[in-house]
Amino acid sequence: MQWMTIYKKECLESARNYKWVWVPLVFILFCIMDPLTTYYLPQILESTGGLPEGATFDMPTPPPANVFMMSISQMNTLGVLVIALITMGTIAGERKSGVAELILVKPVSYTNYVTAKWAAHISLVLLSIFVGLLASWYYVQLLFGDISFIYVLITTAFYGVYIIFVLSISLFMNTWTKVPGFVLFLTISILMILNIISSVFSHLLEWSPTKIPSYLPSLLRSGEVETDLWFASLFTIVTIVLLLFGAIQTLKRKEIV
Amino acid sequence: MLLTQNAIQFINENLAIIAPLLIIQVVLMITALVSLIRAEATNGPKWMWVLIILFINTIGPIAYFIFGRSHES
Amino acid sequence: MITLKNITKTFDKENAVKNITFHLSPGKCVALLGPNGAGKTTTLKMIAGLMHPTSGQVELANGGSGDIRKHIGYLPQHPQFHNWMTGKEFLHYVARLSHISKQESQKLAEQLLDRVGIADAKNRKISKYSGGMKQRLGIAQAMIHKPTVLLLDEPVSALDPIGRRDVLNLMEELKQESTLLYSTHILGDAEEASDEILLMHKGAIVESGSLQEVRKRHQVDKITLRFEGNMQAYKGKIEAFPFVTHTDIQKQNIHVYVQNVHEARDVLLEHVNKEQWPLLFFEVGQTTLEDLFMKVVNEHAMDDHL
Repeated sequence: MQWMTIYKKECLESARNYKWVWVPLVFILFCIMDPLTTYYLPQILESTGGLPEGATFDMPTPPPANVFMMSISQMNTLGVLVIALITMGTIAGERKSGVAELILVKPVSYTNYVTAKWAAHISLVLLSIFVGLLASWYYVQLLFGDISFIYVLITTAFYGVYIIFVLSISLFMNTWTKVPGFVLFLTISILMILNIISSVFSHLLEWSPTKIPSYLPSLLRSGEVETDLWFASLFTIVTIVLLLFGAIQTLKRKEIV
Repeated sequence: MLLTQNAIQFINENLAIIAPLLIIQVVLMITALVSLIRAEATNGPKWMWVLIILFINTIGPIAYFIFGRSHES
Repeated sequence: MITLKNITKTFDKENAVKNITFHLSPGKCVALLGPNGAGKTTTLKMIAGLMHPTSGQVELANGGSGDIRKHIGYLPQHPQFHNWMTGKEFLHYVARLSHISKQESQKLAEQLLDRVGIADAKNRKISKYSGGMKQRLGIAQAMIHKPTVLLLDEPVSALDPIGRRDVLNLMEELKQESTLLYSTHILGDAEEASDEILLMHKGAIVESGSLQEVRKRHQVDKITLRFEGNMQAYKGKIEAFPFVTHTDIQKQNIHVYVQNVHEARDVLLEHVNKEQWPLLFFEVGQTTLEDLFMKVVNEHAMDDHL
């Protein structure tokens, strides 16, 4: 009941901010950018005069799965940045402005407060990622060749787990400081550090959440979920639960003002 | 002359591919402008945001949504 | 109703609130009075659960162990809202957060908006509200779940005279429904609305009780005189009388605190007459709450200078 009240309020706020419109649109743009530029690359090169007279193009068309993965890596940079930007103030901003004082002085459960906000942002972000990757699939299908829709769905689902992890880090950081800009900084820093550690100790950290995207290309080609990906996802889900639990506990101990 | 004809021909051939891209960009721009007009206060002058939204493709509207909207409203 | 036991709050090794203990009895209207920086806001926030005491406890007498926030309504000094909501939406939202049913929330929101006098603006965005309207909306949100204790932090000090009057009247009504604890740094506001006062100074409660009690306790007979010319010249001579405890000079008046007012009056008048002091003003009276408050504030101000 109370959870739904907060969830609905968050969704209403996103609607009044036009987030339900602009975030999906922006994600679609991010996702179709690479398939389109790859497809038009010969023409682009030609019009900029990058090639000597008489030279002919002989660029192999990349396989469809590779082009789809370009969209995912675009999500991994620009998409993650947008996610961090739109979530950086969800709790920190309310505490900074002082609204949190009025809300949390009511008998509001901290668990409801944190998880409802989390769920509302997940709804928005997963929808955006889904339509973005759907658009990417459409263009890949149209311009590069056949790619299994079922495989795309499975890949998107596993990628969604990673995105929920990113969002959970941002929410967790939201409870540590009142400054939204600092939340952004912490979220991006943590992700970068995790990325570096996971790639340096690649063989030791097969189950690191940031490794999920690297398992996706083979998943997309074969539709088979590797054991490592199962474990990485499971480990990520556990981490998400811990992050949420940590966020709730931090907020409980913190003074709201 | 030849170049423009080529360009027109190119656009005609590829309209089905490029149209969705253009539509999304225009919708994004219009949404940003509607939001801007209805906002009571923005971070920085409104006319500046109008120019940014209109002339900086894609990034302009995104920048407005993230940084332009005042937290007061 | 609510009892504070040995509450201390420390910020960076400095005690903002020092070992305060008090009991709020049901149906009372209590003013938490003190100069700025006395620790009033910190005390209210600790009762509301927004801050945690460094030591000591806040206890709810009858409610037992449940969530204390159910029984508390709180209005911060500068209430902030979700400015993108309308006044009615916000009240509905906080009512729903307080576990009130949908229909009941709608009804309560309408009623309260009417009661605090902003029914006309109920469908307007809060970002368009004036300061006074926000204060009223703040009171409405604090009352919405019918709390047994209402905590109001400086509810009238930021308002214009009309707004102030309205809010004081509203508080008078609210007294019938819940226990009120409100902070103020203005003595007049404390005297006007409260049954009891808690005088805070540098994080400690220096005086408490009903207004009459406190007044009586601090009543000292006092004779006020004014002469032509420099007061200082008379000060020493007056202090020489055995019945004078001490004197002070404020704005051309010399206040003489005395033990035996009848003797003092006669002797002083006789002396003035004999010495032909150029008397302009002579009054026999008693110290007021204001004198006490000023004493506390002045001590505070002096400490700040040191």
